[in-house]
Amino acid sequence: MPFKHNPQVFSSSIGETVLGTGEKALTLGGENVWSLYSFDGAVKNPPAVGIEFSDQGPDRSLPGVAAAYEGAETLAELAKKAEQVPGVQFVAFRLAGSDPNGDNESVADSVAKVKEVADAISLPLVVTGSNNIDKDAELLPKVAEALQGKNALLLNAKEENYKGIAVAAVTAYGQKVSGESAVDINLAKQLNVLFSQLGIKNENLVENLGQGVVGYGFEYIISTVERVKLAALTQNDAALQIPVISPISTEAWTVKESLATEEEIPEWGSREERGIGLEVSTAVASIAAGSNAVILMHPASVATVSKLIAELV
Amino acid sequence: MEKFIILGERIQIMSPEVKQAFIDRDPEPILSRAKDQLAAGAHYLDLNIGPASKNGEELMVWGVKLLQENFDNVPVALDTVNAKAIEAGLAVYNRSKGKPIINSADAGDRIGMIDLAADNDAIIIALCCAAGVPKDNDERMEYCQTMLERGLSLGMEPEDLWFDPLTLVIKGMQEKQLEFLEFIRQLTDMGLNSTAGISNASNGMPDALRPLVNRILLAMAMEAGLSSVILDPGAPEIMDVVRTVNVVLGRTLYADSYLEL
Repeated sequence: MPFKHNPQVFSSSIGETVLGTGEKALTLGGENVWSLYSFDGAVKNPPAVGIEFSDQGPDRSLPGVAAAYEGAETLAELAKKAEQVPGVQFVAFRLAGSDPNGDNESVADSVAKVKEVADAISLPLVVTGSNNIDKDAELLPKVAEALQGKNALLLNAKEENYKGIAVAAVTAYGQKVSGESAVDINLAKQLNVLFSQLGIKNENLVENLGQGVVGYGFEYIISTVERVKLAALTQNDAALQIPVISPISTEAWTVKESLATEEEIPEWGSREERGIGLEVSTAVASIAAGSNAVILMHPASVATVSKLIAELV
Repeated sequence: MEKFIILGERIQIMSPEVKQAFIDRDPEPILSRAKDQLAAGAHYLDLNIGPASKNGEELMVWGVKLLQENFDNVPVALDTVNAKAIEAGLAVYNRSKGKPIINSADAGDRIGMIDLAADNDAIIIALCCAAGVPKDNDERMEYCQTMLERGLSLGMEPEDLWFDPLTLVIKGMQEKQLEFLEFIRQLTDMGLNSTAGISNASNGMPDALRPLVNRILLAMAMEAGLSSVILDPGAPEIMDVVRTVNVVLGRTLYADSYLEL
């Protein structure tokens, strides 16, 4: 029997959210087909790839990373190097130093850092906070204020602190905000409902459904992303018609397989290659499940994933 | 159908207020009922002008335009036995928000309404009866088949025939209720769309009981596969039942605020 192609094009679609400004502005979402299914219909905006570095500086013990950031010392210099990595469409900057359980830097210091990075680049900026609920509630509104006019995306608005962050980021200072839920589809939807009840429209939202790395209960993460896209596309669920962002790097480079040195476990081979492998496979699987943007750390991962997207879409 | 469709039933000639508004061509009571029903979650507004044998055409045109002009071309169910009035209403109907529904045909004297739907690319509510109450589901199914074949032979899509099993009063016809639910299940198994005027079941009961009975029967009918309903979406907690059943049946993803959506 000859193959009959029945394209699955949905009457509902994911909303579009624009990050950044000017020529380098980036639109996420907008699709009405399954992720990467360009054979069913045009993929309006292919999944985007971003590169992340933190205020602690890049991990120069990895030769590929050291080469990419060679000669860059200040945050502004690092940011410029980051946005020049081939395949990068946005820069993600993590305020690791603001964590109260770490350096516990002042809000003013963190804001100054973000400003330095934002002023150095022309690509859209994504900011990750301290990952502490109380600190982020204080920090992220100030970040939003400092980034006026940049149309940046602030991650980490959680159930406990979403209100102040979202109102400051979107309503007061014109940024975009992402709800963060920990692999809980019902909470993911609830957060978006709460945003809408604050008067925030979908076009100002992104969603982070919770991330993990392959080999660590990853199937659960995949099924969450798929279920969200299923509701958005097949059930026309407006509360989920929002682009998904997947912060891969922080997960991929913090597990034993990417932390153990070659001296510790010689039979595992190069640490850098292991980490890239984890990062690439996690990113590609997340994109296949429906993610609209992935945040990566290693330039080789960025090159691989962006090439894959370019060839498939 | 992708979602469970609610037809708001409150603009109907049996209400003295609506009847008077029709006579006086007074928009206010009609608009107020339309607004309340849409706010409560109605997708379609039923416009029941009664038999309207004298001035049906003019009244239907007035009603359709009134509703669509004031509520962004809200889709309307044109509800009368007067075919001329329906034709006149369809002529001014704006389809941008959904096909018109003709309410209704049956397998008896009113079977010609199917032809009217076919000629005008409308949805038809097809009552599975001819004269009087069908004695069992075999008889209901015969009527259903007759109407389905007629619609298909006239080029209609099967999904544009919404079969109504006929909701019967519980008080007096208690033994018919299970049949009613079973028939909805049969329609569902056949892949056909269905609808029902659920609140008929509680006719004759004390007012205090009616909302509860309507809610429970609606939940049971939805579980059996009912794809749309004709009711007052402003009735106490009735839309909460719809939302909750949609969650239980997996049509809507749960969130703590699901009742507010």
